[in-house]
Amino acid sequence: MKLLLSLPAALLILFYAALSCADGWNDILKEARGQTVYFNAWGGSQVINDYISWAAEKAKKEFGIRVVHVKVSDLGEVVSRVLVEKSTGRKDKGSVDLMWINGENFKAMKENRLLYGPFTNQLPNYSLVDMENKPTTLFDFTVPVDNMEAPWGMALLVFQYDTRRIHTPPGSMEELLALAQTHPGRVTYPAPPSFYGTTFIKQALLELTDTPDALNIPVSQADFEQVTAPLWRFLDRLHPLMWRKGKVFTKGAPGMKQLLNDSEIFISLSFNPNDAANAIANGELPESVRTYVHRSGTIGNTHFLGIPYNSSAVEGAMVFADFLLSPLAQARKSDPEIWGDPTVLNLSRLSPGDRALFEKIPAPKASLSQSELVKVLPEPHPSWVEALEKAWQNRYSK
Amino acid sequence: MTFTPQKRPLKSPTGISKFLLVFPGIVFFTFLATVGAGLLGTWLPSLGYLPAMGKTALTLHPWTELFKHPALGGAVRSTLISGWGIALGAFLLSGLLFAMNYGSRTWRVMEKMLAPILSVPHAAFAIGLSFLISPGGWLVRMVSPELTGFDLPPDWVIPKDPHGISLMIALILKETPFLILVMAGALQQIDYSATMAVGRSLGYRPAQVRLKIILPQLFPHMRLSLYAVIAYSLSVVDMSMILGPTTPPTLPVLVVQWFNDPMPDARLMGAAGATLLLGMVLGSLFLAYLLEKAATALFKWRMANGKRETLLSPMAPVGRTLLMGGMTVFILAMVILVLWSFTWRWQFPDILPERWSFRFWEKSIHALGPPMVKTLLIGLASTIAGLVLTIGCLEYESTLLEPHAANRYKKYMSIIYLPLLLPQVAFIFGVQMMLTWFHLDASATGLVWSHLIFVLPYLFLTLGSTYRSFDRRIMTTATLLSGSPMKAFLKVKLPMLLRPILFSFAVGFSVSVAQYIPTLFIGAGRFSTITTEVVALAGGSDRRVAAVYALYQQLIPMGIYLLAIFVPKLMFMNRKLMQR
Repeated sequence: MKLLLSLPAALLILFYAALSCADGWNDILKEARGQTVYFNAWGGSQVINDYISWAAEKAKKEFGIRVVHVKVSDLGEVVSRVLVEKSTGRKDKGSVDLMWINGENFKAMKENRLLYGPFTNQLPNYSLVDMENKPTTLFDFTVPVDNMEAPWGMALLVFQYDTRRIHTPPGSMEELLALAQTHPGRVTYPAPPSFYGTTFIKQALLELTDTPDALNIPVSQADFEQVTAPLWRFLDRLHPLMWRKGKVFTKGAPGMKQLLNDSEIFISLSFNPNDAANAIANGELPESVRTYVHRSGTIGNTHFLGIPYNSSAVEGAMVFADFLLSPLAQARKSDPEIWGDPTVLNLSRLSPGDRALFEKIPAPKASLSQSELVKVLPEPHPSWVEALEKAWQNRYSK
Repeated sequence: MTFTPQKRPLKSPTGISKFLLVFPGIVFFTFLATVGAGLLGTWLPSLGYLPAMGKTALTLHPWTELFKHPALGGAVRSTLISGWGIALGAFLLSGLLFAMNYGSRTWRVMEKMLAPILSVPHAAFAIGLSFLISPGGWLVRMVSPELTGFDLPPDWVIPKDPHGISLMIALILKETPFLILVMAGALQQIDYSATMAVGRSLGYRPAQVRLKIILPQLFPHMRLSLYAVIAYSLSVVDMSMILGPTTPPTLPVLVVQWFNDPMPDARLMGAAGATLLLGMVLGSLFLAYLLEKAATALFKWRMANGKRETLLSPMAPVGRTLLMGGMTVFILAMVILVLWSFTWRWQFPDILPERWSFRFWEKSIHALGPPMVKTLLIGLASTIAGLVLTIGCLEYESTLLEPHAANRYKKYMSIIYLPLLLPQVAFIFGVQMMLTWFHLDASATGLVWSHLIFVLPYLFLTLGSTYRSFDRRIMTTATLLSGSPMKAFLKVKLPMLLRPILFSFAVGFSVSVAQYIPTLFIGAGRFSTITTEVVALAGGSDRRVAAVYALYQQLIPMGIYLLAIFVPKLMFMNRKLMQR
């Protein structure tokens, strides 16, 4: 009886909540009109730059927002700028309105209260995000997101290989070592603290350690030496067989892509399962390149959009972030011909019309097929990042 | 009848002098304030003071962290090796090439190419060079697999070798032309042909005359530029990111990495690292000073040993080959950029792209407008402001008739060279902090100002000596004939100095175009210039787009240099003596 009575009440509350939310959103839309949003995002990829300028044009037409893509070569620069603004007491009119962010940068900004929010619960399209099956949309490198950043795209550590050089790609770190033995000098990975390199190290650790559970707790509570010993043994054997005998490293996946195209190396890596397909369509890689992951699973995470605490166009930033979350924008982003960055949305929650946007995208040969997409491994506790980077530098970067 | 002197003539020299004092005043105090605030804004965090992150206690912790950091030793080592290698290499090479080849046909060709070579921004040159010399690069492709048997690129440790040798060679290539230019400027200060005639008549070979008599006279004029090369070589960031070692990188790159690290402690350590780099640069400059003294003492007897012959004379062909080789590298580094910019797909070991495409040029035209306009406006604003200040300061100097006063003034004014002698990373973050305080960050004023700090020293460097050697009697005559010092200045002095003024304008402009760190940090990303686009794209994987933008970055200053050469030619068509 009580339940029966409370149900309409609950519905009523929900209804009002929805109404006020819509109301609030309309206000935000109104405020946003005419604002200029300085969107600070990595600018190293023409493909991504083109996508952002498409989205900026759309935002101009539909919402009257001027979006300026500030092309950054390292997002740390942006964090550092917001920091300087905070240290000089700038509470508003900050120079950054919206930023592409995740992982360590998010953690630092959240801890130092450099972020505006929580705000994602106000975005209409946020309800379409697949939080159930994509837990990394709620935990950014295990740090709770707490609605302080809006999920934008999914990342997965994948490897790419040139079928002209290798017949069967390695299915594990041990097999990668075996491959390096038969093809000395043709394997490499980016040097930590580049997040590409750190992710590779974490993947190797997850595969090789005898106590993977220890990675879920803070590093201070684990026996670092014992947990990581198999990793260093592995790297000690791998490095002499690597490209430049492990004395020179690339900075990240972009550098490795060039080397793969030159056939200097036979295996590259990426956070985007459609990256190879996109690069082939774009002339950056030969058509013989394919994508694979290791059998035991691969590290996955999410990249986000955050608003600094002193953004001069909070409403505009929110509206643009919401547009980037819309089925239209997400579908275009996931098209390998355009960018190929996997969506954060739950397709089953979309209207049939919106779902069709995704379904008509062809699956390219060079990408990972759905059946090959194996288990997604969660990131270790973030405290491991610094400890691993330090230990790595102690050994290999003197 | 007594003669009463007229009391204050309307336009007394002292009045003009007082008015002109405004220029050195502005320059002196604002430079001192900016650089001082910049250094302070770096030193305080290095002692643990960064209130934004709740760090207010003064502590040496950042320094202990810095010295404990595993990468520090390697970074300091490769920085010192490459930095000193560059400075010594460029200095010895420019001196020897001058002694061996001055006046030869190759030298004259090289002099014609000097301006375009100098206008090539460091980042663009580094990108071109890495496309050229890496094991999968164009040079190896040219001879593979026919001569080398390479079906796959060899696993050579270049570029990015751990000791910074490739970085060193690249920067020697880039800095030697700069020193040669400075030498050419200094040559105007001495009577070359008379000295040569005397030396020859005493039986000395021309190369020996240049080595023993000319170069020692040139050196005082080159010292400052050489110091600038030392400081720059030890603190270069953009080229080191493209060609320098990786594990660990050089110290300046490491410092920038720390500054960009989201963890607050890393920033404090970065500030300490930047201060350490400052110390290394200052120490190196002092060492260079000591070396100069030691070399003077050591080689005095050799200078005066009376030997007429020199090994340099028979080695002239080697010098010519080196000159030709150096120029060829610059040309090839540009050609390879052109090739990549028209490429669709290009794989090893093909000598030319498999498929060509105009797509990247086409696309760039749409995206290029705003950054191009900003690059030009910022460059024009900072260089014109810089020229007004420079000419004002030099003009004030010319009113100081007393040599003693002029020398003291010059000593004070040498403060403007500080930005050349200090590592950019050692104070730019502090400058950013200061401008943010005054809400001048992300403003055009702040950005132009920050460029001006780096443009002004080059304007002084390139214009100073010519301006000072301007024959005072011409101005006296012109003032007497026109009745107005202003008229004389505008109608006679400026036009006569138009060529050097435009040349230093071109130098200053290309310095502004190449600024990356100030544009990024002071401009707060609001001002994307060609250079910020180039560096952002150089971090990506697409060589074709990077090549297109690197070429744009190269073409802008080159265009300005061409203007600087041809405008005076056109303006003085009817003045025979000005045609030279």
